[in-house]
Formats: sequence, C-alpha cells, structure tokens
Amino acid sequence: MSKVEAILSQLKEVAANPKKAMDDYKAETGKGAVGIMPIYAPEEMVHATGYLPMGIWGAQGKQISKARTYLPAFACSIMQQVMELQCEGAYDELAAVLFSVPCDTLKCLSQKWKGANADKVIVFTHPQNRGLEAANKFLVTEYELVKAQLEAYLGVKITNAALENSIAIYNENRAVMREFVKVAADYPQVISAVDRHAVFKARQFMLKEKHTALVKELIAEVKAMPVQPWDGKKVVVTGIMLEPNQVLEIFDEFKLAIVDDDLAQESRQIRVDVLDGEEGPLYRMAKAWQQMYGCSVATDTKKGRGKMLINKVAQTEADAVIVAMMKFCDPEEWDYPVYYREFEEKGIKNLMIEVDQEVTSFEQVKTRLQSFVEML
Amino acid sequence: MYTMGIDVGSASSKVVILKDGKDVVASEVVQVGTGSTGPKKAIEAAFEASGLKQEDIAFTVATGYGRFSLEADKQFSEISCHAKGIFFLVPTARTIIDIGGQDAKAIRLDNKGGIKQFFMNDKCAAGTGRFIEVMARVLETTLDEMATLDELATETAPISSTCTVFAESEVISQLSKGTSRNNIAKGVHMSVASRACGLAYRGGLEHDVVFTGGVAKNAGVVRAVSSVLKTDVIVAPNPQTTGALGAALFAYEAANKK
Repeated sequence: MSKVEAILSQLKEVAANPKKAMDDYKAETGKGAVGIMPIYAPEEMVHATGYLPMGIWGAQGKQISKARTYLPAFACSIMQQVMELQCEGAYDELAAVLFSVPCDTLKCLSQKWKGANADKVIVFTHPQNRGLEAANKFLVTEYELVKAQLEAYLGVKITNAALENSIAIYNENRAVMREFVKVAADYPQVISAVDRHAVFKARQFMLKEKHTALVKELIAEVKAMPVQPWDGKKVVVTGIMLEPNQVLEIFDEFKLAIVDDDLAQESRQIRVDVLDGEEGPLYRMAKAWQQMYGCSVATDTKKGRGKMLINKVAQTEADAVIVAMMKFCDPEEWDYPVYYREFEEKGIKNLMIEVDQEVTSFEQVKTRLQSFVEML
Repeated sequence: MYTMGIDVGSASSKVVILKDGKDVVASEVVQVGTGSTGPKKAIEAAFEASGLKQEDIAFTVATGYGRFSLEADKQFSEISCHAKGIFFLVPTARTIIDIGGQDAKAIRLDNKGGIKQFFMNDKCAAGTGRFIEVMARVLETTLDEMATLDELATETAPISSTCTVFAESEVISQLSKGTSRNNIAKGVHMSVASRACGLAYRGGLEHDVVFTGGVAKNAGVVRAVSSVLKTDVIVAPNPQTTGALGAALFAYEAANKK
C-alpha cells in the first residue's frame, strides 16, 4: 500500500466509524465528545475544553419511524435522520450538543432534543441581519452563553489562552483543507470523489490538529507526483452535502472529477477564518459569521451565491455545476431559481440531483449523471 | 447496415432496428419491462418482424431503467436516447415532455438536437404512468379506457399531484361522493400533466413542444398537458419507442466510428 493509500485509508476508517473515533478518544484522554449540529457552530470553543467535537450530519439508509412522531414526511432529510437517531439514543453518550438554528426544522429539532436532555443541549442564534455591528455584539452575547453552558455541563473552564490556541489550530486546518481542495482538483486520478469526501468527513470526528497533520502529509505525497491530464469532466458541486459513497462512486464511474465544492458539510466549513486582531476571541469568532458568504442559511440580500459558483467554474475550468439538493431543504430550494437563472444566462451547464438520506437505491441518480455526462 | 436500439423500461420493453441509420425495419413493444422476459421477447419479435438475425446487427445500444441488465455494445441514458429519437422524428422540437411508466422528464434541446437541460421527477410515482395505472384500477377500468372516460367528462374532479397513495384515497373519496368516473379520469390526467409540466417550467419552455413516452398514447393526458402548458403539443409518432429509436441511432453512429 502506498503512503497516499495508507493515509486515505486511515481517514476513511475514521469517516466510516465515528463511534469508534469517539470511543478511542475517550479511552485515550478520559474526556468525552460534544455533538456539533449543522451548519455552523463555534467549534473552537468545544476544542478548547479538551472534548472532541463530533459533527452530526445524519446517517444513510435508515428507515424513518420514531421521528415521524415529531416531523412530517416533508421535512429536511438530514434532520429526519438526526431526529430518528436521537430518538433511538444514538447520541446519548455525547456530553453536550451545540445547536445553531438557522432554519425552521433545526429550531424544532433543537427544542425537541432540549425537552429530552435539557442538561446537554446548547442552543444559540446566529443573527441574520449580518451587516450591522450590532449583529457582532449580539453574537458575542450568544457565544458568552454557549461558553457558560459548556463550562457548566463539562466542568471545564475555557480560558482565553486555550481559545486562542484552538482558533489557531482551526485556522490552520481550514487553510490546509483549502489547499487540499486544489490538490484534489489537480490530481483526480489519485484523489477520487469518494476519497475527497472522506478527507472532509474525517475532520468532523478527529481533533483538527491530528487531521491537519495527516492532510499535510497527504498533500505532500500527492504533490510529489506528476500532474496527469484528465480525460473525464470537471465539476463544481454545491448544496448541503453530497453523500453517500454510492453516489460519489457514480461520479467516479463516469469520471466526474469534483474540482471545487460549495457544500455546507465541506468547503463552507473552511471558507472563513477567525481573523487576528486586538479584540477578544469571542468577538473575532462572531465577526467570522459576518464574513461568511455564499450560504443559503446566511442571509445575503445581494444573493451572491450564483456569482461565487460562476467564479469557481472559471477558476477551476470546470465543465459544469452539479447541485446536490437536500430533499425538502427550504433554504437551499429558495436559492436554486436565483443561481439557476444566472447559470443559464452565462451558459453554464448544470444539473440538480437530490440528496435523500433515507434511500438505498441510486439508479435514478445514475441515470441523471450518465445523461449529464453524455450531454457535456 | 442494421443497428438495434433496446429500451428496457420499468413497465415495457421496446426494440427498434434501423437500416443505415434512417429506415425503421422493426419497432416492437412488449408490455413488461426490466427483470422480466420482456427484453428477450421484444428482441425476438423485432427479428421476426424484420426477418433479420443477431449476426446481421452491426451494433446494439441499450437504454432505459434496465439498460445495464442485458448485453449490449454500449449503454446510453434514456434522456439522451429520447432526445436523439425525437429530434430525428421532429427536428423542430425544442422541449420534450416524456412520461413513462415510473418517471417523467422534461428535456430542452438546441437547434442541433443537443441537450441543453433536463429535469426528471424525484423518487415518486405522482406524475407518471404508474399513477394512472393505480387510478385506473380504482376506477375499475383499463389504461386504454381512461382516455375515453376523460373525453366524456363534463368537468375536472380535483385530484392532487403530490402523492400517489394520497391521491388514490382522494379518488376513492370522490367516487363515494358520487363524482362521475369520467370527471375523475380527467382529474387524474390533469394531476399527471401538472406534475410533469412543472418539470418543463423549471427548465423553461421553448417551442415546439413534443410529448413522448408511453403515456403520450393517452389522448386524455395529451389534452391535459396542452391545457396546463396553454399551448399545442406535438405527440411523437409511436411515442413508446422513441427511446429505442434514439438508441438505434446512437448505435448507427457508434458502428460508423468502429
């Protein structure tokens, strides 16, 4: 096994077995894990406690049953899965759960979960009128409450020094992942769509400093290889997430290289850093939310997502954009007609596929992707 | 040179044999689809109709839901094949509405027959042939009779297009209220048309609009599609076999490249 294969295998193992990653971490450190609900949370704060931040992004192929008590069938697919797993006690071992509530379904789920576990669910609000300085001050107050609750639930004091250290670790991880995105685009023969996703997914279940070290090593190994011409097509993908691996395997089968993404689970997490400055860490973390762009749950009155995607296509010389539409995700659906029109005006080829975590058959996605490749 | 296109759908199997990429020498439909004896029977029927044998066929392309389930020289998606077949038959086609047994598609074409954009229904039977099949059973009629009932309707019974199971209970409720079967049949067709036309609106509508797929044989749905889109629609000749025709055309191009 080559060094590249060995690193990828290690990251895939973590991505596929979050429970094991959590158990290993507990055994190693004596500390537990804190759940991080989609889409954005001040994860650095959890890292500063010494607990392992664990991303909660649903599961694939699980039949929804218990969640039907609370959610209608026409609710966002990922939230249905999370609620089903929560009802089954899959997250009971988490010491706390951090909840941002930028959409209606997240609001409802947060309250349902809080009803069952008032002593571990920490809910906070991102201000949506983000242009104002008052928004930063509001979010600092929210983060102060999050910090106080984390300290109370975990019994750990979060010092400014620890927080600054965590911010630096997260900034480095984000920078390394941005470099990884470029490397994956240059070497699709080496980093498949499945591999690329695993590298992103593993960062949800590992301490970021460990993840950074592995990805740096991976980048160095890959970059030592010669860049080969790609005889397939290149695409930019957008949406909440693009899973499961069966769908990504279809991308690989039809030689659709993902040269950049705008997925909430992937590049949106690494888009904005917490900047240096004279202000305290909570203020700078709040400011990062103000700087966030191109996301359906971060209000943008100018609707810049289309332009951002068009720029990504130009920068990466991609052939097309593939929209991974999370089933019944209102914020994503509302953005779609806006950027679809911009794509049409600019002549950018595009395809929408649906992401539904409950399904186990992917024939329809295969037909769409095959047709799209034939069309390109 | 003879080339063959096989469209293995969810509800039926279609085979077209072409001579020199332009003359249809066989066009056969068997009303069972993937996973059945349908594809084999359709191929046998096409050979019998044309008097040809397997060794006479230079190239075979398979398409449709079951395209990977049988041996062929190449597989193309049904979207590409329907576009190819329709443009061959109707060169002025710019929007295709294809309603098959278990899916519905809207395809936009450029003036060279290239696909500009396409939209497909999600994993749901509403807006497909299966929806009409289920409703026909509740109405104690056949698929063929649905168009006749529709023609006799005096008004349209409202049937939602969200969910087949829910719509089925709506039909039962309409029957128990004494609504005429004719009006319900028309409502069913409007429901299918509104769902499928939603796909066409998503990609933008451009003339000429061509309606194809097995459901295009139902005159009631043709009227409904025309009414929802507020425009005339051209019904493809032999609408059930346009996918197989496109596959045979792709096969001809591939055979010439060999």
